[in-house]
Amino acid sequence: MRDPRPALAFFAVAALAPLVVRDAFLLDGLILILMWGASAAAWNVAGGYAGQLSLGHSAFFGLGAYSAALLGTRWGISPWIGLIVGAVLATAFGFILGFLSNRLRGPYFGLATIAFSQVLLLVASRWRGFTSGSEGIPVPFRPGFWTLGIADKRVWVYLVLVLAVLLYLVEVYLERSRRGYQLAAVREDEDAALSLGVAARRLKVAAIAVSAALTAACGTLWAQYVGFVDPYYVFSVDLSVRFCLAAILGGIGTPLGPFLGAAVITMLETSLRARFGGIGAGLIGIYLIIYGVVLILTMRFAPQGLLPWVGQRLRWRPGLGPTS
Amino acid sequence: MHAIPQLLASTILLGGIYALIAVGLTLIFGVMRIVNFAHGEFLMLGMYLAFWSFTLLGLDPYVTLVLGLPLIFGGGWLSYRLVMRPVIHASHNVQVFTTVGLSIALQALALVLWSADSQFVRTSYYAVVVRFAGIALNLAQIAAFVVAVLFTASLFAFMRWSYTGKVMRATAQDRHAAALMGIDTGRVFALTWAVGITCVGAAGVMLAPIYPVYPSVGLQFVLIAYVAVVLGGLGDMAGALIASLVVAAVEVTSSYAIGTAWKEVLYLLLFIAILTIRPAGLFGQRGAEVIGT
Repeated sequence: MRDPRPALAFFAVAALAPLVVRDAFLLDGLILILMWGASAAAWNVAGGYAGQLSLGHSAFFGLGAYSAALLGTRWGISPWIGLIVGAVLATAFGFILGFLSNRLRGPYFGLATIAFSQVLLLVASRWRGFTSGSEGIPVPFRPGFWTLGIADKRVWVYLVLVLAVLLYLVEVYLERSRRGYQLAAVREDEDAALSLGVAARRLKVAAIAVSAALTAACGTLWAQYVGFVDPYYVFSVDLSVRFCLAAILGGIGTPLGPFLGAAVITMLETSLRARFGGIGAGLIGIYLIIYGVVLILTMRFAPQGLLPWVGQRLRWRPGLGPTS
Repeated sequence: MHAIPQLLASTILLGGIYALIAVGLTLIFGVMRIVNFAHGEFLMLGMYLAFWSFTLLGLDPYVTLVLGLPLIFGGGWLSYRLVMRPVIHASHNVQVFTTVGLSIALQALALVLWSADSQFVRTSYYAVVVRFAGIALNLAQIAAFVVAVLFTASLFAFMRWSYTGKVMRATAQDRHAAALMGIDTGRVFALTWAVGITCVGAAGVMLAPIYPVYPSVGLQFVLIAYVAVVLGGLGDMAGALIASLVVAAVEVTSSYAIGTAWKEVLYLLLFIAILTIRPAGLFGQRGAEVIGT
């Protein structure tokens, strides 16, 4: 039985919070949870449902961030247009990666995706004339909804919430539709799926392209919210790992898992930052150590993630997670 | 034309060091079937080991290499016991993400211990250049190359002639059959992991006098090693050796021809192309699992 109630509760809390909470710090935390949850959910389309474990999804995130920031600063074009441009570019690159995924399996695919995001990082940080190189791009604040110059964090909560719910619905679609079942079949045994007449390759490529476009949309919104695009951050391997980590920790291949994982990670990160605040670079290290250890422990004790792990104990099935 | 001997010499020196990194990676893959995403972090730790011995104890990196080998081997073995052993029979995905987790944790540990700043091991001879026949070479690079060749050669000899090496190759070929023959595959995996880590750690110590060290330094070197390992065929040690030279040649000639800024883009694209066109590597057969040739 797939119970939508936990998800309803999660999104309801997120929707009601801005009505009660006025504290900018807490609202910021909520926005980040939803933002990272949405990014992890976008990764989950390729990594969880299609079983293509990408370690280079920051490539798409960065494409989204850069498209909007560059169009905005160079030609004064709205970030909404930038979002679409970023998504289109990411889809194109997603097709390339999808093509690669048809040639490569397992660790090979992971390696190729890392190389792929590194190429984009190098281009963004070296092509000084166009991207401002390694200095990054400050996103100018132009007030208004069309230019996404929104100072009120409560508005941002709802903006990101729309994205998050959209992502959740995509995952629910992948849980329940014929296409979703076909994709699950491809993930579990591609040869068997092929023999049953499932268009395995086309499905995988489509899943990766959709995942790429959605990740780019998250990247655009993130850059507009934070107000700065740094190539060494938006294209980093660390960021790619963050997406997978949230999805894996919460429950890979489940609709709510990425959001749960993102909530755990973001709260952990924020509380550690607050606790060790003032130590400077060292504090970043401490939470990253915990990050790495959490990933190792999750892999060892609950490789399917927290949500299925809790679900098993409550006799409640959160989704069609991978069997292996 | 006058540049060719110099380019050739630089290629060989660079290729030798890449080979030592790549050989450890390919050994671990060949025997354990694990792509170690934390490989670069052990290189980084090796570099920091040299840095700390140099600044705190005043030890020359080459002394550190000799004294530090048991330490690096022990660290490798410990990381196997703590991190890898519990997932040794798990699925590929679980193993990949376990090594990714290890990589994050080790990088962060370095960040805490040594900060994000670039550190240098400034030996008295770091700028010494050896010249002959119109070729100029850095002394530290020559030393690193010699050590790398010694290491790689002894690893090859070990895999080929020693009993333990044969046991490791047997495990690589068929771990179940090896277990049925009475081989303790758990110990073989522990040893393989520790030996692979020792290779890359030693490479790190040797690189410290040449390159600055910072917590994420491993990535750039290990990406090159991945390229070499895949090019040579994952698990194929001799292939990795030749491929390291090929990668070094691409790097040296491209930085000569188009400048250092874009050479990385070139070899990453080369990497993606190789992965796409010939995932089994240049010399590998599809599905071949050759170790020690």
